[in-house]
Amino acid sequence: MNDTGAKIAQYTVTVVVLLTLNFFLPRMMPGDPLSYLLGEPSADAPMLLTEEMRANLLAYYGLDKPLLGQYWDYLGGLARGDLGWSIYYNAPVGSIIMGRLRWTLLLGGTAAVIYIALGIGLGAVSAWRRGSKSDVGLLLTVFSLGSWPPFFLGMVLIVFFSYQWGLFPIGGAQSAQAARIGGLRQVQDVAYHWVLPGLTLVLTYLPGIYLITRNSMLSVLGEDYVRTARSKGVLESLVLLRHALPNALLPIVTTVAMRFGFMIMGTMFVEVVFAYPGMGTLIYEAGAARDYPLLQGAFLVTMIFVLALNLAADLVYGWLDPRVGRERA
Amino acid sequence: MRRVDRWLGGVGWSLLALFALAAALGPLLSPHDPTTMDAPMLGPTASHPLGTNDIGQDILSELLHGARFSLSVGCLAAGLSTAIGVLLGVLAGYYDRLGFAVMRVVDVFLAVPRFPLIIFLAAFLRPGFWTLVLFFTLFGWMKTTRLVRSQLLSERHNGYVEAAVAVGADDWRILVRHLLPSTLSVALVQFIVTFQHVLLAESGLSFLGLGDPTVKSWGSMLRYAFEYPTIFISDVWVRWAVPPGLCITLVVLGLTLVGFSLEVWMNPRLQGKAG
Repeated sequence: MNDTGAKIAQYTVTVVVLLTLNFFLPRMMPGDPLSYLLGEPSADAPMLLTEEMRANLLAYYGLDKPLLGQYWDYLGGLARGDLGWSIYYNAPVGSIIMGRLRWTLLLGGTAAVIYIALGIGLGAVSAWRRGSKSDVGLLLTVFSLGSWPPFFLGMVLIVFFSYQWGLFPIGGAQSAQAARIGGLRQVQDVAYHWVLPGLTLVLTYLPGIYLITRNSMLSVLGEDYVRTARSKGVLESLVLLRHALPNALLPIVTTVAMRFGFMIMGTMFVEVVFAYPGMGTLIYEAGAARDYPLLQGAFLVTMIFVLALNLAADLVYGWLDPRVGRERA
Repeated sequence: MRRVDRWLGGVGWSLLALFALAAALGPLLSPHDPTTMDAPMLGPTASHPLGTNDIGQDILSELLHGARFSLSVGCLAAGLSTAIGVLLGVLAGYYDRLGFAVMRVVDVFLAVPRFPLIIFLAAFLRPGFWTLVLFFTLFGWMKTTRLVRSQLLSERHNGYVEAAVAVGADDWRILVRHLLPSTLSVALVQFIVTFQHVLLAESGLSFLGLGDPTVKSWGSMLRYAFEYPTIFISDVWVRWAVPPGLCITLVVLGLTLVGFSLEVWMNPRLQGKAG
C-alpha cells in the first residue's frame, strides 16, 4: 500500500465517521423528535398537537421509518446538496450557510495568509539572529501577545479602538449604506470592518507560527549541510533562503495543518465578539435558539472545510519533501 | 540567551504556582459564596474588592471559584490524555503489530477536526465538568502517542536496552524501568500544550454559552460581562471583563513560558551549542 492510498482510506473513514455522528447525535438526545424539528415548546408557543397530527408530521418527515431507512434518506439528501430546513430562520440550511461561509473565508482566510507569512518571516529572522536584541525582543513580544484568548483580545481592541478612540466600527462586516452603493466604496467599507477582527486573529495566531519557525530554523541551522554551505562561501542570505528555510518548512506545514481546527474555532470566537456575520456567529445563534438542523449543517460544512485544508496541507507536504509520496519499500 | 531562557521559565513556574494556589484555596479566600446575591453592579468596596456583577454576585469570589473549575478541567484532561498517550505510545513502540493497529486509530482521530467537533458536541450535550474532561481526553491523546512511539522506536535498539534483554530482563521490566523514563520529557511538553489548548477551548465554550450554565468559569464570566448592554461604555469592564480575561491570559502565558524553557532544556540545539 502506498502513502496516497493510505491517505485516501484515512480521509474516507473520517468522513464516514463524521457523517454518521452528525446523523445519530441529535437522534440520541432525549426528548421528542418533533421538538427537534419544530423547536422546543415554550410559554409563547406551546406544542398543541393531536395524536393524529403527530403521526402525520412524523410520517411527513420520514421519522416513522426505521433508523437505517432514515440514515439512507439523510445520505441521499446530502448527495443532492440538501442540508435540511432551519427552524429559526425558516429557510434552507444550505443557503443560509452559503451566505455566511464567504464572510468566514474572507475574515479567516486573509488573516491566515498574513499571520502565516509574517510568522515564518519573523521566525526565520529571529533564529538567524539568535540571541541578538531583536531576537529576544521579538520573543518577549510574542510571548506576551500570544497568550491572549482571541475573544478577550477582541474585547480589549473594541474598547480602545472603537469606543474610546472611535477609529473602527464596533462590529459587523459592512455597513448597509456602503453595501447599497457597491463598487470601490463597498470594498473599502468591508476592509475597514475587517481591520479589528482581522488584527485580533493575526495577533492570536502569529506567535504560534513564529515559535515553530524559530525552533525549526534553529534545528536546521545546526545541520552539517548548512555548515558546509557556509564554509564553501555561500552568501549568508542564500544559506538562509535556499538551504535552511525549505527544510525548516516541513515541520511548520505539519503543525499548521494540525492546527486548522483550532484556528477555525478561534475565528468563530472572534466573529461572535465582533458580530461578524460568519459561521461562528451562525453556530452561536443556532446554539442559542436550539436550531438543531442548522447546527448540524454548519458542523458538517465546517468539518468538510477543515478536512479539505488538511488534505491540501498533505499535498503541499509531499511537494516540499520529495521523499514523501514515493512507494514504501 | 541561556539566562533569558531560565528567567522566562522562572516567571512561568511562578505564575502557575500562584494560580494553582488560588484554585486550591479558592473557597477559603473567597469573601462570599459566588452564587449569593447582593446589590447589583456595586463598585469596589471593602466587602466586594472587585464589586458585584449585574445580578449582585461578588466578582472576586466568582473569579476564585472559576479558577478551580477552569484549571481542574484543564489539568485533569491534560493529565489523562498525556497518560493515555504515553501508555499507548510505549506499547505501540514496543510491540510492532499492536503499534500498526494503534497508529491507524491515531490517524483517524487526528484527521477529525477536534475543536469544531467539541463545539458541536457541546451544543447538543451542554457538558458539565466530567463530560468536558471526557471530550478533551478523548481527542487529546493522539499526538502524544505518535511522539512517544517514535521516541521508543529510536530508543529500543540502544545498547542499554539490548544489554537488559541479554541479562534476561522481561518485557515489563524493560518497558517500565528502561524505556518509560526516556519518554518523560516528551510527556511533559505534551501535557503543557494540551493544558493550554483545553483551557482556551473550555473558556471559549463557556464564552459561547455552550458550557454548564450553573457553573462559574472564567469563560462564562466573560460571557455575562460581554452581554451586559453598556459594558464598554462605562469603565465597568475594567473590574468585570478584565479580571477573568487576564486570568486566562496569565495562565496561558505561564504554560507557554514553562513549555518554552522545557523545550530549550531538552533540545540543546535551541540553546545555541551547535551551529
